[in-house]
Amino acid sequence: MSNAKSRSATTADPISDFFAGLTEPGHIATFEREAATLRFDVDDGEHWHITIHDGDVSVTEQLLPADAIVQVSRPNFEAMVTGRLNAQAALLRGLMTCDGDIAALMMFQRCLPGPPGSTGTVEPLSSQAVMAQRRPQ
Amino acid sequence: MSDALVQILEGNTFVVSDDKGDIAASSTDPTGLFSFDTRFLSRWVLTVNGQRLTALSTDDLQYFQARFFLVPGSGTVYVDSKLSIIRLREVADGFHEELRVLNHENDPVDLEIRLEAASDFADLFEVKDALKKKGQYRNEVTGGSLVLRYERDTYARETWISASEPATVDATGLTFHATVPGHGEWATDLDVVASQGMPDGIGEAPVGIRGRRRQVRQDMARGLQKWLQRAPTVDCDWEPLEHIYQRCMTDLAALRFSTLTMPDHALPAAGLPWFMTIFGRDSIFTSLQALPFTSELAETTLRALAERQGTRIDDFRDEDPGRMLHEMRYGEMTAFEERPHSPYYGNADATMLWVVLLDEYERWTGDSKLVHDMEQAARAALAWIDEYADRQGNGYVSYQRRNAKTGLENQCWKDSWDSISYRNGDLPGFPRATCELQGYAYDAKMRAARLARHIWKDAAFADQLEKEAADLKRRFNRDFWIKDGEYFAVALDADGRQVDSLTSNIGHLLWSGIVDSSKAKAVVRHLMSPQMFSGWGVRTLAEGEARYNPIGYHVGTVWPFDNSFIAWGLRRYGFKAEAAAIVAGILEAAEVFDGRLPEAFGGYARSSTRYPVQYPTACSPQAWSTGAPLLLLRAGLGLEPNGDNLIVDPALPKRIGNLELLDLPGRWKRIDAFGRGRIDTDRIVRR
Repeated sequence: MSNAKSRSATTADPISDFFAGLTEPGHIATFEREAATLRFDVDDGEHWHITIHDGDVSVTEQLLPADAIVQVSRPNFEAMVTGRLNAQAALLRGLMTCDGDIAALMMFQRCLPGPPGSTGTVEPLSSQAVMAQRRPQ
Repeated sequence: MSDALVQILEGNTFVVSDDKGDIAASSTDPTGLFSFDTRFLSRWVLTVNGQRLTALSTDDLQYFQARFFLVPGSGTVYVDSKLSIIRLREVADGFHEELRVLNHENDPVDLEIRLEAASDFADLFEVKDALKKKGQYRNEVTGGSLVLRYERDTYARETWISASEPATVDATGLTFHATVPGHGEWATDLDVVASQGMPDGIGEAPVGIRGRRRQVRQDMARGLQKWLQRAPTVDCDWEPLEHIYQRCMTDLAALRFSTLTMPDHALPAAGLPWFMTIFGRDSIFTSLQALPFTSELAETTLRALAERQGTRIDDFRDEDPGRMLHEMRYGEMTAFEERPHSPYYGNADATMLWVVLLDEYERWTGDSKLVHDMEQAARAALAWIDEYADRQGNGYVSYQRRNAKTGLENQCWKDSWDSISYRNGDLPGFPRATCELQGYAYDAKMRAARLARHIWKDAAFADQLEKEAADLKRRFNRDFWIKDGEYFAVALDADGRQVDSLTSNIGHLLWSGIVDSSKAKAVVRHLMSPQMFSGWGVRTLAEGEARYNPIGYHVGTVWPFDNSFIAWGLRRYGFKAEAAAIVAGILEAAEVFDGRLPEAFGGYARSSTRYPVQYPTACSPQAWSTGAPLLLLRAGLGLEPNGDNLIVDPALPKRIGNLELLDLPGRWKRIDAFGRGRIDTDRIVRR
């Protein structure tokens, strides 16, 4: 199978980049002692088939059977692999559907990145500031 | 509408109705059919010949089943009805209702029976906060079913309503024209199915209306029976204990919750009905309490939380790599990221408590396979303690939310706004390092060291964890100890200053083992003092502190769950008689509450009110209150796994008399434990 024809070979593709980044280390600790296959069917004719076995991850673009088959549009999948769309929210909202073993999808989403703006830091808040917020009560 | 609310549930699907079985909700009124945190029916009103009905009696047959006996009329005067109506309702993917109309006359009667139906598809959060809906409604009659639909972009939810008897279906309900023979009856089955609709409009009916339904119900009844049969047996001279125990096990069965990814396994949800979902902290505490009686809840909790363990930095969800979730929700506001519960990670304790549970689970069950399966999750959880939880940069676990809009301010179990204060009532800034978090961190490291040494076979990691734990314990006993008061500060504030109020949190420190043995006696003296011990249990905040209020949520009430862990802690440090005093107080309170302990009750002195005063809460039963008597039984009998043996070292209140706990499951297969009450608990407590 070829990639979606519409994609230009010269522009960076976030989905290809994401899977390249995933398979480059080839081994992901959070997937140890786990086994599953899943396939993302993106728009028409684009497939990403992922095999997870005891921490080892391999990806092909072939239309192979899988434990979980996920339907998602290209813009939404791009948003997901770049951290702009949360997988669980997308599923609840109907932006993505999953046939088969949803546990495989839940496991897979652990390797998706967080939102681009998240820093993990926050300014401390003083006791005076907390008391001031509470004063009206 | 009558105030009497009836609730039945299965998993996260539940029905709250009035005592007639009717639902007539306003936007903020918490009645309806709810599933996956969404209200699928907000109106379900039965009339006969245009008349509302009156309840004669209502039975909660099982937690998933209720029966309503009704007669026509307003019920304000003497009832002499020629008709009676029986509604039998059972929850499963929505609900099933068997409606029977009985004619007590000799002559047949023609009736118009109508069920009016509507749904606002409110998210649970919207019901709580009275928010406006953003999507569109559409009702349709399709193939004899009434379909109520709500859609917003690609998000769609549907309620399908159908009947076994011929009905005239319109957009607002079903009407039956029935002729009921003399001394005869007319009956119909009604099915209401909650369904995730397709984005492109109303399609085929959801699977499993009739047929499969009956199967589901039989499974549920059998499941409950099997659960109760598998549970150990309690025999006790003090009769209320057997009733309390039965109530606990039945309520625990009702609180069982399955996730979509593990449909055949159950974990304890936090509370019924509004908190029927995974809560990291609540599910873990309840699993710990229940471990001597059932290990299934712990196993599922461990797996389900690991499956959703944090892996990235996400400020909206307060997610970090290795962090265990706080709360998971499935409603519209979560779907559209207007709330962060997909899942939300804002707690500072569940990650460490998860490690504690993993070790405790292995000590009871000997299930080393699960410990191997969870090795990566455990390592990530331990790494979180050092890399992400030390927000003050001083080697202590502290918390501050990054989602200032919809995140949780207090990320410890006392999560209300005023729960952590200085003695003078001032509130500290953020980050806050509450003391019990340091205890949990210490315990998590010590227990993980045991698992690393004996199961993961990583002695170097075990050594490192033990070294870190010892260092934490040494620093903690120096930095949190209030010298003149001889107790531990409830927290360190952002400047490293002690937050100096006297709280029940010091009891959790005993449970974790972080207290220097030289300091334990002083801590226990405080716990059993009249300022802290009400006669029923230990207050969340000591009498005499500025914010003390005997009916303040976390500032003076007595929490059964809190006390059960304090009792366990007292046993850990050898204070058997003091533990027995808490066992006596909380179990006697349970007797007053007919076996079902509330989340919290008033901190009034027992001598002044005679009866414990219930704190008004929406949720009952609450999971960790349900689990409290189970842990108190463990503490009273001194049950402690030791290799393949179970140590039994009873220290029970006199009133209990003889106590037998039969068929305790564990790595020893099944074992019996016996004890006799010998402790005069009245003499322990200074009044």
